[in-house]
Amino acid sequence: MSAALIRAERAYWPLAAALGGLTLAATFASLAIGYVHLDVFAALNDVAHGRASLPALVLVELRLPRAALGCAVGFSLGLTGAAMQGLLRNPLADPGVVGVSGGAALGAVVVFYSGLAGAFSLALPLGGVAGALVAALALYALVGRGAGTMTLILAGVTINSFAGALTALALNLSPNPYAAFEIMFWLMGSLVDRSLPQLWLALPLMLAGWALLMSSAPALDALTLGEDTATSLGFDLKRLRLTLVAGSALAVGGAVAVTGAIGFVGLVVPHLLRPFVGHRPGRLLLVSGFGGAIVLLGADIAVRLLPIHPELRLGVVTALIGAPFLLTLIDRMRREA
Amino acid sequence: MRAFPTVGESEGRAPPFPRKGGRGGRTAARLCALALAALASVSSPALAKPRRIVSLNQCADELVLRLADRDAIASVTWLSQDPRNANMATAAAGLPANNGLAEEALAYHPDLTLAGSFTERSTVALLKQVGARVVEFDVPETFDGVRRQIRDVAALIGEPERGEALIADIDRRLARIPVDANRPPLGAIILRPNGFTVGPGSLVDEILQRAGMANLAAQLDLGPYQQVPLERLVALDADVLIVDSDRFAAPSLATEALGHPIVAALARRMKVVSLPSRLWTCAGPALADAVQTLAAATAEVRAREGRN
Repeated sequence: MSAALIRAERAYWPLAAALGGLTLAATFASLAIGYVHLDVFAALNDVAHGRASLPALVLVELRLPRAALGCAVGFSLGLTGAAMQGLLRNPLADPGVVGVSGGAALGAVVVFYSGLAGAFSLALPLGGVAGALVAALALYALVGRGAGTMTLILAGVTINSFAGALTALALNLSPNPYAAFEIMFWLMGSLVDRSLPQLWLALPLMLAGWALLMSSAPALDALTLGEDTATSLGFDLKRLRLTLVAGSALAVGGAVAVTGAIGFVGLVVPHLLRPFVGHRPGRLLLVSGFGGAIVLLGADIAVRLLPIHPELRLGVVTALIGAPFLLTLIDRMRREA
Repeated sequence: MRAFPTVGESEGRAPPFPRKGGRGGRTAARLCALALAALASVSSPALAKPRRIVSLNQCADELVLRLADRDAIASVTWLSQDPRNANMATAAAGLPANNGLAEEALAYHPDLTLAGSFTERSTVALLKQVGARVVEFDVPETFDGVRRQIRDVAALIGEPERGEALIADIDRRLARIPVDANRPPLGAIILRPNGFTVGPGSLVDEILQRAGMANLAAQLDLGPYQQVPLERLVALDADVLIVDSDRFAAPSLATEALGHPIVAALARRMKVVSLPSRLWTCAGPALADAVQTLAAATAEVRAREGRN
């Protein structure tokens, strides 16, 4: 074992603990920072004493769902990015880039605007999961095992633009005059005025997705030794793929159904953290989840502090950071090839 | 100048008709419309009664339907046939509907075309280019502006007496609503789809005043866009929250925002009034209904305060 690997091995739990602590801090900052001054502790005191004061209402009904969703959705995106990069053994695999988020948005849009979600509220996140699942399966069918980066990106572009076009079509077909103007939310994502019921709808599905993805950590590590070695170590690769596809669909589908698609988080975060975990994809999962949560909470705090109104979509901020990052990544891969 | 949106244009709601151009285009369109509205207010008595009136704007629809002979109306917008969002849907039913396109208007060979200041600029330009008589109307910002607009439309369609009768009817209804000038106004805030509110300097503002309320949006630095995070609206701690109660055939994120759980939670702290936007969007007698509903809410809050 090289010295670097040993260092990474020793540093893993402190790193995970530090990122976990930062995630908590960012969540609290997201509770404390907003459009109006709010004394969080006084508001918490009111909540604890059952007083429906204005600060208590703002904290519980507006700030809490926003911060909790920012944390959970960011965790989902970072974790899924790391898992997909491990599965496809390609550093460019990100739910946004390869079209899984776009598929989730399409599924959620169809369910929401058809009125199905009004009749049965869990239909909304389930629609997102179904859309993400279809996109993930289509991607896997197109790309398969060990396909080149070019195939992966082309497949992603195709799925993304097709899902985007169908989303626009579904919105245009809605008889509600506002619907056609809402494509920005679904393609760029936002945490504006989210509510507790939305958190309760999406969270269980995201948690289930996280559990599936995290359970694949040992198999993902084994996969780096090659498929034959992994199989000989007793890992069922078919099951691994199914678990990862299902886990990604649950985590991303649940998230996108309530916040819209937010790109690049799952691309940037695992890439930045990979050297710190000795390039072990299994170890990358948890830390990427925390990293994704920190990035998304940070972006959501930034859009509220920036003097731009109405506030920027989250996907705009993440793309401003992520797209140049992706370009340099592609450039480096091209020169290394 | 901040016009109150005709059919909710600047509140992020679907424009009544397709309209290209971004922010700059809208400002230019407003300036242009202002100039044209000024021209339009000069009545032109020499013309005979128009017999084929086409309206391309929902507010113009309402006035035409109230003031003109039915057989003089060639077409109104499809928006006016939806009873959920239009005051004159029954009268509009059965009339040919248009989507605000120039070629639709021309197909009726109109001798008078009425457009709103938010009607697609290229539509208006095209109609004028082919020599059609197009008159544009801005959104009134005061009750005086409402009276002026009714008078202008009535003159254009050759029914000035009906115009005066309609104005008298509105004034009579308004006069019946009691004013309690001795008490300070209640603080009110308006929540419309997509988290839009209504800023000061609009007809809505005057309606609130008439009903014994003051628009707290004046305390917000709204700028040209009146979209406000719920948090800022809530923090104003209004006495009355007026929620747009328009209903559509299908859901949207914009209207879902009106049902945010915090609205229900606020109902325990303040008076929440549901008001369909069609009551206070266009010049017409429904404005008096809006004043009446709000004045009743004011009276209710004051009665409650009196008891405490």
